[in-house]
Amino acid sequence: MSVAAKVASWPARWQQRIWRRSAADSGSVVLRHRRIYILPTRRGLALIATLATMLIASMNYGLALGFALTFLVAGLVASALLQTYRSLAGLAISPLAASEAFAGGELGFSLSLANPGSPARSIVVATAQGRSVRLDLEAGATQIVQLSAEATRRGRQALGRVTLWSDFPLGLWRAWAYVHFPLAGIVFPSPEAPAPPLPAGHEGSDARRSARAAEAELAGLRDYQRGDALNRIAWRAVARGAGWYSKQFEGAGGRGPLDLEWAALPPSLAAEARLSRLTAWILAAEREARAFGLEVPGLSLAPGQGAAHRRAALTALALFPAERRP
Amino acid sequence: MILATASAAPLARAQLAWLVALVFLSQLPLLPHVPLWVAAAGMALPAARLLLPADWWPSPRMRRWLLPLLALALAVAIRMRFGYLLSRDPCVAFLYVLVGIKFAETRSARDGGLLACLALFLLLTQFFYTQTIGAALITLPALLVLGGALAALRDAPPPGADWRAPLVRTGRMILQGIPVAAFLFILFPRLAGPLWGMPADAGARTGLSDRMAPGSISSLTLSDEVAFRVDFQGPPPPPAQRYWRGPVLSRFDGEAWTPLPWLRRGELAPRSAGQRIVEYDVTLEPQGRQWLFALEHPASMPQRAADGPPQSSGIDRVILTAEQQLLSRTPPLQTVRYSQRSALGNGFPASGTLEARENLQLPPDRSPRTVSFAHELRDRSGSDRGFIAAVLQRFRTEPFVYTLSPPLLGSEPVDDFLFDGKRGFCEHYAGAFVVLLRAAGIPARVVTGYQGGEINPDGGYMIVRQSDAHAWAEALLDGVWQRFDPTAAVAPSRVERGLGAALPQGEPVPYLARVDMTWLKRLRLHWDAINYQWQRGVVGFNIERQRGLLRELGLDLGRPWEVVIVAATAITLWVAFVLGSARLRARRADPAAELWARANRRLARAGLARAREEGPVAYAGRAAARWPRWRPLFVSLGENYALLRYGPESVRRDELLAALRANVAALPNVRALRAAS
Repeated sequence: MSVAAKVASWPARWQQRIWRRSAADSGSVVLRHRRIYILPTRRGLALIATLATMLIASMNYGLALGFALTFLVAGLVASALLQTYRSLAGLAISPLAASEAFAGGELGFSLSLANPGSPARSIVVATAQGRSVRLDLEAGATQIVQLSAEATRRGRQALGRVTLWSDFPLGLWRAWAYVHFPLAGIVFPSPEAPAPPLPAGHEGSDARRSARAAEAELAGLRDYQRGDALNRIAWRAVARGAGWYSKQFEGAGGRGPLDLEWAALPPSLAAEARLSRLTAWILAAEREARAFGLEVPGLSLAPGQGAAHRRAALTALALFPAERRP
Repeated sequence: MILATASAAPLARAQLAWLVALVFLSQLPLLPHVPLWVAAAGMALPAARLLLPADWWPSPRMRRWLLPLLALALAVAIRMRFGYLLSRDPCVAFLYVLVGIKFAETRSARDGGLLACLALFLLLTQFFYTQTIGAALITLPALLVLGGALAALRDAPPPGADWRAPLVRTGRMILQGIPVAAFLFILFPRLAGPLWGMPADAGARTGLSDRMAPGSISSLTLSDEVAFRVDFQGPPPPPAQRYWRGPVLSRFDGEAWTPLPWLRRGELAPRSAGQRIVEYDVTLEPQGRQWLFALEHPASMPQRAADGPPQSSGIDRVILTAEQQLLSRTPPLQTVRYSQRSALGNGFPASGTLEARENLQLPPDRSPRTVSFAHELRDRSGSDRGFIAAVLQRFRTEPFVYTLSPPLLGSEPVDDFLFDGKRGFCEHYAGAFVVLLRAAGIPARVVTGYQGGEINPDGGYMIVRQSDAHAWAEALLDGVWQRFDPTAAVAPSRVERGLGAALPQGEPVPYLARVDMTWLKRLRLHWDAINYQWQRGVVGFNIERQRGLLRELGLDLGRPWEVVIVAATAITLWVAFVLGSARLRARRADPAAELWARANRRLARAGLARAREEGPVAYAGRAAARWPRWRPLFVSLGENYALLRYGPESVRRDELLAALRANVAALPNVRALRAAS
C-alpha cells in the first residue's frame, strides 16, 4: 500500500477500529486494551458527583479526614475501574456457528468464550438487536454462548456487531468491547400458511408402484384441485352433491417425485408469495417423505430427498434474489 | 435492555439488608452529635421498614406522599430545635433523618444507588465534629459495607450467598486504592481559607468559663481532657513559671467573678532586661471560646503555625486586650495550632489609670468581716507590699487546706471561707485574696487559665489538661501588674508538681493528674502521643505542610507540567502494579499452566510455535521430532502437563507438578535449541 493510500484510508481504518462496523474480525479475538472501552455508569457518575461534593465540603471546612475519606473512596472507584477492565481483558472470543430459521422465527448464533486463567468473570454478551445473555465464567473455563436473533427477512442474516460488557464488581463502571465476526445464518422464506395442497407428482412409470398405490390405505379427503388425477376424485361425494374432493392415501410411496416449479404457480402470485408457497410445499413434501425437484429461475434442483436436499432447496429459496423477476 | 429492567425491579431482601447495614453504619458515628430525637427518628424508619411485616407498611402509593410529608415535618422540627435551618448542624441533622427516610422509600436499584451516595456523604459529616483516630476508624466498616451494597445493587446476591466475600473483595480494592488516595491526599491543592463563611455554631465544650464562682474550676479539674498541647523550641520553662493566661476577671458581685463587660485593646508589653523568651507552638483543642492561651506574658501575637490546620484562619485575626489576653475573633471550631512567643515574668506595666479604678470595685455591704479585717491589717502593715506579704503569711500559717471538696459556703462566701471554713480550691484563694486587696485599696483582679503541664516523655511535648485549670491574682503595684498566687502559699506543690501532688490523699484527683506513673498512665501517655502525631500529621496536613513536604520532594505545584509528569508516572506505576499483581495471583493459582506457558514461549522463540488448537502431547511430539536429542524430555513434559490438565482427579497432582517443574527446568535454552535444529 502506498503512503498516499495509507493516509487516505486512515479515517476509515480508525472508524473501523473504534466502532467495528464491518465484520472484519476473524478467528479468535482476544480482548485487549485497544478494544476495551470504559465509562462510568449512571451510578458511578452519581458517586463521583458525591465525591466532588464531599471534596468541596472538606476544602471549605478544612477537614483533613474529609479529604482522606473522599480520596479513599476515590481510590476504591479507581480500583473498581481496573477490576471492571480486568473482567473483559484477556477474554478470547471465537465464532462457532449460526443456525437456520424461517423468517419470523429465531435464529441462533453460538460463540465460544474462553477465560484464560484469570479470575471468574461476570459479563453480558449483547447483540445489536438488544438481545443479551448474562454469564459467569469461572477461571480457566470455556463456555459456549447462544445468542438468538429474530429472523426478520429471508436471506443471509448476519450476527452483526456483538457487544461484550461488564460492570463487575461494583456497577460503577461499564467496560465494553465490540467484536464483529462475519457470522451469518440463513433465513428461509416463511412457509405460506395455510398453504394449498401439494401439486400432484408424476405417476410412477412401472405398474407395480401404481398397483401398490391403489392398495394404499385411504387417509382422507381434501379439496379438489385442478390437475388432480381423475381416479383420485371422490366421485361418491360429488354424486351426493357435497362438493369436489380428492382422495388422499397414506403410505403411498408410489407417487412419483414432485416438481415444484416457479413457473407452474399462478401468474398472479408475487415473487415473495411464490417463495413462501414453494417453502411450504418443500416442508409438506418432507413431511410426506416425498421426493421433490425444485425449479426456480436461474436454478434447478434435481428431484431428491433428505435433510441435505431439503436444506439446499430452502437455501436456494432463501437466497433467491429479491429484485429478479422471471 | 437488562440494565434498564434491573434498575427498575424491586429490590431483593438481601439487597435491602446490605443497604440497611450501610445506613446504620453511616448514622452510627453521628449519634453523639445529633439531638436524641433526630437520632431515634433516623434509625427507627429503616428498622421499621425491615422489621415490620409488609402489610403493616403503607402501600407504595401512600408512601409517595407520606414520606415527603414526614421529611417536611422533621425539617420543621429541626428548624425549631436549632433556630435556623440553613447552617451546618441542622443540615447534618436533616441529612441524618433524610437517609432514614430515603431507605424507607427505596424500591429500586436506582433508589439504592442514590441512598448509597447520601450515606457516603453522611459519613463525612462526622468530621465536622471530631477528627480523632477513632472517628477515622469507625468509617472503615461503613466503607466495606458500601462496597458490599454497591455489589449487591449491581447484581442481587442469590439467597444464602456468602456475605463476607463482597466485604473481602471491597477490602482488597480499598487496599489497592490506597496509593491513589495517598497520592491525592498529598498532592491535592489545599486552600488557605474557607470557600464560604463557616457558621459559628459550636456546641458546649469542656473548658474554662468566663464566670468564676466557688466550685467552677474545681469541677473542671475533674476532667482528664486535653486543653492544649505545647511544643517548645528549647527547654520548657520551669513548672513555677508555667502560667497559661486566660480570661481576666475584674467584676465581683459578692459570689461570682466575671470579666469587664467592655473590651479594650492593648499593646504587647515592652520587654524588660533579663527576661527569658520562650518560643513554642500551641495545639489548642476547640473549647468553643475565643481565648488563645499563652504563657505569661505574651511577647508576640500568635502566628499560624507552619503545620497548623487551615481553620487556623481564625488565628489570623487575633487581638490582644489591655489585660494581656489573646482573643481570636471567632471561637476556633476545630483544633488550631499557633506559634507564640512569651517573655517569662510575673509583671507588666498597666495601660492607664482607668484600670486602677476598675479593679477596686467591691459590691457594697458584702463580705463585711473580710473588709474590716483588710482595713485593720492594712493599718498594721506599713505598705501595700507589706500588706500583701501579711495576707500570704496568713494563708501560710493559719490552718488553710487546699481541697477539691470544700464545705458549702453560706450567703457571704468570702467571709465564710476566710474565717470559718478555711478549706478551698484555687478559686476560693484567688477570689478571697483579691477581695482583701481591694478592701485595702490595692487594685487587684483574678486571672484564670492553666497552671502547669506535663511533659509527655513519649514525644517530648507538653500536655496541658483541663485538670490544670487554675486561678490566681494580679495586683497593681507601682504601675505594674504583678502576679500573686495565693494557692501557692497554701499548697506550694500545686505549682511545683501539679494538682495530684498538692491534694491530700483521698481527694478525687483525675487519674492522669496523679503523680505516680503506673503502667496504665504510661499507656495513656503513649496513646496521647499517637493522637498528637495524628493531629499534627494527618488532621493538621494543610497548605503549609503540603508545601513543605513537596519542597522536600522537590516538586513545585506552581509548575503544572511537573505535576502532570509525576501524576502520569504514578498512575502508570499504579495500574501496572494492580494489574500485574492480579496476574501474579492468577499464576500462583495455576502453576501448571504457567509452567506450560513458559515452555511454550521458549520453544516458540526457538522456532516451533504451538498451533492454536494443538494439544500438549501432539505439540511435545512435534518438538521431539524436531529435536530428537531431547526426545524423552519433551515427551515427559507433554504427558505430565496433559495429565495435570486433563487427567483424572485421582492423579498425584503434587508429584506431577514437581515432575513438570523439573521438566521445564531441564529444558535447554533457546540458543541450544536453535543450534540443534
